[in-house]
This record gives sequence, C-alpha cells and structure tokens, in this order.
Amino acid sequence: MLEIGALRYQFPGADPEIMQFDLSVAAGEVLSLIGPSGSGKSTLLNLIAGFLKPDSGHIHVDGEAIEHLPIAQRPVTIVFQQHNLFPHLDLYTNVALGVDPSLKLSTEQDQLIEDALESLALSGLEKRKPGELSGGQRQRIALARVLVRERKVLLLDEAFAALGPAQREELIVLVKALVERKKMAALLVSHQPRDALIASDRTAFVQNGRIIALQPTRQLLEETDLVEVRSYLGSL
Amino acid sequence: MTQTERSAYLVIAILAVLVLAPMGGLLSLGRLPGFEPQDLQFWQSTYIRRVVFFSLWQALLSALFSVVPAILVARAFAFNGDFPFRSLLLRLFGLPLVVPSVVAVMGIVSVYGSDGWIPLGRSLYGLNGILLAHVFFNLPLAVRLLLPLWQGIPRHHWELAEQMDFSGWHRWRHLEWPALREGLPGVMLLVFMLCLTSFAVVLTLGGGPKSTTLEVAIYQSLRFDFDPVQAVILALLQLSLCLLVAVVILKMQKLPEVEISIASPASESRNYRNPLNSLVILVAGIYVGLPLASLLIDALSGPMAQVVANQYIWQSAGKTLMLGLGAAGLSVMAGWFLLGASSQLANRGQLRRARLVEISGSIIYVVPPLVLGTGTFVLLSDYIDVFSWVYPIVIIINAMMGLPFVIRTLGPAMRQNQMRYQNLCSSLALSGWNRFIFIDWPLLRRSIGLSAALVAALAMGDLGVIALFGTPNTATLPLLIYQQLGAYLIPQATATALLLLGLCLLVFWVIERYIGGKADA
Repeated sequence: MLEIGALRYQFPGADPEIMQFDLSVAAGEVLSLIGPSGSGKSTLLNLIAGFLKPDSGHIHVDGEAIEHLPIAQRPVTIVFQQHNLFPHLDLYTNVALGVDPSLKLSTEQDQLIEDALESLALSGLEKRKPGELSGGQRQRIALARVLVRERKVLLLDEAFAALGPAQREELIVLVKALVERKKMAALLVSHQPRDALIASDRTAFVQNGRIIALQPTRQLLEETDLVEVRSYLGSL
Repeated sequence: MTQTERSAYLVIAILAVLVLAPMGGLLSLGRLPGFEPQDLQFWQSTYIRRVVFFSLWQALLSALFSVVPAILVARAFAFNGDFPFRSLLLRLFGLPLVVPSVVAVMGIVSVYGSDGWIPLGRSLYGLNGILLAHVFFNLPLAVRLLLPLWQGIPRHHWELAEQMDFSGWHRWRHLEWPALREGLPGVMLLVFMLCLTSFAVVLTLGGGPKSTTLEVAIYQSLRFDFDPVQAVILALLQLSLCLLVAVVILKMQKLPEVEISIASPASESRNYRNPLNSLVILVAGIYVGLPLASLLIDALSGPMAQVVANQYIWQSAGKTLMLGLGAAGLSVMAGWFLLGASSQLANRGQLRRARLVEISGSIIYVVPPLVLGTGTFVLLSDYIDVFSWVYPIVIIINAMMGLPFVIRTLGPAMRQNQMRYQNLCSSLALSGWNRFIFIDWPLLRRSIGLSAALVAALAMGDLGVIALFGTPNTATLPLLIYQQLGAYLIPQATATALLLLGLCLLVFWVIERYIGGKADA
C-alpha cells in the first residue's frame, strides 16, 4: 500500500548528513517508528505528508506516486501530539473541516460526521469546545476527523505522548482496530516501546536519518543484538 | 511562493518606492532653485551647528531624565506587589502611548504655564518645557520596558538571596544590576531616538531659534522660510543621525520586549516593603496624571461649550477621524501581509528572509516622517499642488508610522498561530478566505483590533506631516490646536485638546471592543 524508496532529504543549512528512507507498509498495518530524538522519525512523516519536500526518491500509495502532489491532495491524514484542534471551534466544526474546508456540508456528509462521532463515543459532545474536554477526548476528536477524511495513509506523530499510560493504550487499541477495519496504512511515531508492542507487528528503529532495523516488534525490542537499539532501550 | 508571500513582496515594493522616491527627492538637491555649491558646507553655518547640537543635547537630557527615574519607579513597582491601585497606575503609564503629543503639551501648559498650578512662567518655553513633555511620554514607556527585567530574575535567585541573608545593596549588586545592565542601554537609545525625532513637542514648547531641533528646523525652512535647499540639508542630517542610532540599536539587540497596550501589563512582583518605594510610585503617578487631570479641569471650566458648538471644530474632528481610520486600515493590511509572509518563511526554516520581511515594516524608525514628508514635498511640488494631496499623503505616511506597532502587536500572535496550525491547515486544504474566516480571524481578531486601535489613535493625534502639508482648510484637530496656541487662544486650545483626547480614547475603545471582540484566542 505505502511504498517509500530511496527517499532522500537534507535539512537546509545542516551538516552534510543526508537522511534516506526505504520502507513499505501494508494495508491494515500499523508500523511503529522508534528511535532517539532528532533521529528523523518526524521528518519522515513530514516528507510523506508533504510538509517537507524530498531531494529525491519516491513515495507511492497503491502504486501511484504522491511525492509531487500538493499537501491537501495527498491521500494522507496526520494526527499531531497537540494543536490538532482549533480551540475556538466546537467539536463538530473541528471534525467537519476535515470533510469540507468551506463547511458547506450535504446531508450525507452530516451523517458521516455523526457516525464518526458515534463510533468514537463522542456523541452528545458536538457543541463542546476543545478546552472543555480531556486530553484523551481531544485526540479522539482528531481520530474522528481521520475517519471522515477517508484517506489511505494515517500518520501519528507522537499523537498520544501527552496522555497517561491507560488512555494511551486505549487509544492505540482503537487506532489499530480502525486501521484494520478501514484497510489503511499507518505509521506510528512514539518514544514508548510499549506503544509499539501494542500497536504493531513490525517496528522500525531509526537513527541518524536511516532505518537501521525493521523487524517484528517483539524481536526488535526484546531479542535484538543491535548495539544502537539496546543502547536506546537502555537509556529509557 | 504563496499568495501571502506575493502580497508581502508587493507591500515591500510599495514601501521601497514610498521611501526611496522621497530620498531621491532629497538627493537631487542640486536641481533645487537657489542651490549654491557652498550650501553643502553646512557645518560652517552657525545656525545648523546650533540646531544639530540642540537636537542631540535635548535628546540626551530627555533620555537621562526619563530613564534614570524610570529605574527607580520600575524597581518600586517590582517590589510593591500590594501597592494600592498598582494595576491602575500601570494602566495610567500605558496611556501616554495613545495621548496625542499636542494634548500632553496642553496638559503640561495647564500645569506649568503662567496660569498653571505650578507656574514656571516664560521659562516653560524652551528646553525646560521640552524636557517636561519628553519625560511625561518616555518615563512611563521606560518603566514598562524595564519592569520585565526585574520579573525576568528567576524566583529561585530571590529565594537564594534570602537564604544567604543578602542586604538590599547585595540584592541590587548581584541580582538586579546584572539583569538591568542587559536591557538598559537599549531602552536609553530607544528613548534617545524618540526624542531626537520628536516634532510636535518641540514645535509647540520650543522657544525660538535657541531651542530648535532638526525636525522643527526642517518644518520652518519649508513652511516659513520657503528655503527647500536648507530643508533638504537638514533632512539629510537628521536621516544620518537616525541611521546611526538605528544601527547601534540593531547591533545591540538587547531591547526588552514589552506588550504594546494601554492595559496593565501582567506582572509578578516581590514584596520588599519600603516607604521610599511607595513615595517613588506616588510621585511618578502624580507627574504623569497631573497634566491629564489639569487639562480635564481647565477644559471643563473653560470655553468647552463654545468649542463643542463650533461647526469648524467638528469638521476638523471628521477629518481627524477619517485620517485615523484610513491609516489604521492601511497599516493593518500591510502588516498582515508582511507578518503572514514572515511567519510562513520562518515555518519553512528561512529565518533570515523572514526577519528581513518583518524588519522592512519598521523602515520608518530610520526615516522619520518629517524627513519623508520633506522628500515627498521636494519631489512632488514641481508636478502637483502637494497641499491638495494632503489627505492621501498624511494617511500613507501615518500608516507607515503605525506599521512597527502593528508588527509588534500582531506579530507574536500571528507567529504562534502559524506555528501551531500551518501544517494542520495545509493538510485540511484550509487556505485563502476559508482559512481567514474560520481560523485566523477568530484567533487573531483581538490582536488585529488592538493594532488598528493603536494606529488609529496615533494617526489621529499626529502633528507632524499634517503640519507640513496642512492648510487652515484641511486642518485636523491637532493642527487646529497648534493654530489656536499660535494665536494665544490657550483656553480654546485646552478645550479642543480635551475633545481630541476624548475622540482618540473613544475610537481606541470602539475599535478594540468591536473589532477585537472577546479575548478568545
């Protein structure tokens, strides 16, 4: 579903170190990305989302190149750690902006939003503002928007890092079910190895702008001989 | 390149033309009628030497007399958290920002004039009066710039000092002075620059050739002596001085940030109670409050009814309002595009270019309005009747004067908005009108309202460019007050000043309330 090949990027003005990524994610799969801060995990997501432009390489979704598409036309949706919601808009409008930025919604689109809110146990909260909700509820709204946007690729950039362990686990399980049901390809960036264990069958370890290991999650986290991974896990 | 960036570059191009064309006018000195090559040896002119010396001398004294007491006042505020009416006094210290210069001058005349509460007689006009007025404006500004330096000292440092039983002197030496030393030169230079380019105060309170600054001398050369050659030479001198000070300020980059507002600044304070601190706050409060109170009393007990019934006054008020609103609209629009482009560039990591785009809006700091006006006068007077173009010229130059305020007020909110929501908006295809209506306007309307209110109030109170281009038929309220003062109609001028102050505060309040709306961001 999501294929990334020889995707190279160098930060403007940075030292000559060039990031390069190769990986693939199947439909219905959540692939976790772990690694030290500044290793390039979020940069990879930003390249896929289109916030950064790669120097070379390709990003294919279902065999079609998307690296030249404008941000809004990419079949990609992203959930950030914070500022996913506009604080002055109510929950319903925040989700509706994902369907139509001009907010001219048809009856079907209205129903789509209602269904998404209901499936995430958010019914009845439509008129609330983000400030009136808990951190977990706010991220649920962001996931409701993921549902209504119906994109093939989901990027989660430390989306649950600010939540407590129980809420984080609950939302990761929810995302996993959502991705399987909608046959999306998801990339989950996290600092918590436990998130990867819950979410992913496979996990990639990123360091210095490269994926230096891509293995079954349990094997990578518990049995690996790679010094870099052991050192990273030991430092947590 | 985005639409916002294209608009910003258009704004920069217009600004460049507006600044460079008048500069071209100034530099084409040789083609002016009456020009003689020996005019270039301006340093041989006793008059010009005296004007340059007085400009620098009054600016230096004003800066010293404003900033040194401001250190004591800011310190007193920092240490008197529970001083009665502390918040009200800090709000009063924000007021000179929107009080027109000519209104403050009337207040000062009302207190220190021959019939005032503390009469200084004839000696008010000249250096004394200029200093009194400059301190009225700049002491509160310096207090608001310096106060955050005390608040920047970490709480733990104060606690350590208490634990180690520091005396007041030790606290000053080891905690306060190191923090103050960082920001003090920047504040001093800023006040020096403001006083160097001060026009209305020197025009109204300066006492003849002995107390004339470059700005006023330019005006007199153009409007009274009809000597454009001398006006251009003086303007070039003033420009060189301002460039020099601006370069030093930019090199230092130690100017503390202050929220530009008449609201009381958010301030944390420590309680080291000392009766002397309370006395310092009280004296400073009286110094700033007295001219305004005196103006109010004198105006209301004078010919206020007669002034209010005068149709000519209301025509002037209408023109003042039109110029203020025109300048505010233009300034906020230009600032919006510059800040939008600057934020987008910064978001893409192009920090240097982002800074340059933003700095371009503050060009007026280097090229004072009167210098710009002189250049425009010289450039256009051969082709058009500049006096019949007074309104567009005054609106444009006042909009340029307001642009740095828009950038300071709107900039932080816009940058934060861009940083938080740019990627989200891009991924949701929220752009253009949809983005403005659904996201930017609700989140930024408070800052937009405050910027527009500030620029409108400043432009309405301006007695600079309008003095250069205005005629009795096109007089705004500040120019009318100046004309009344010139005709020794002091009670009428006082009443008109109160009307102008009321109008400025009303416009400020209406714009901030109805454009700014609730603080929902």
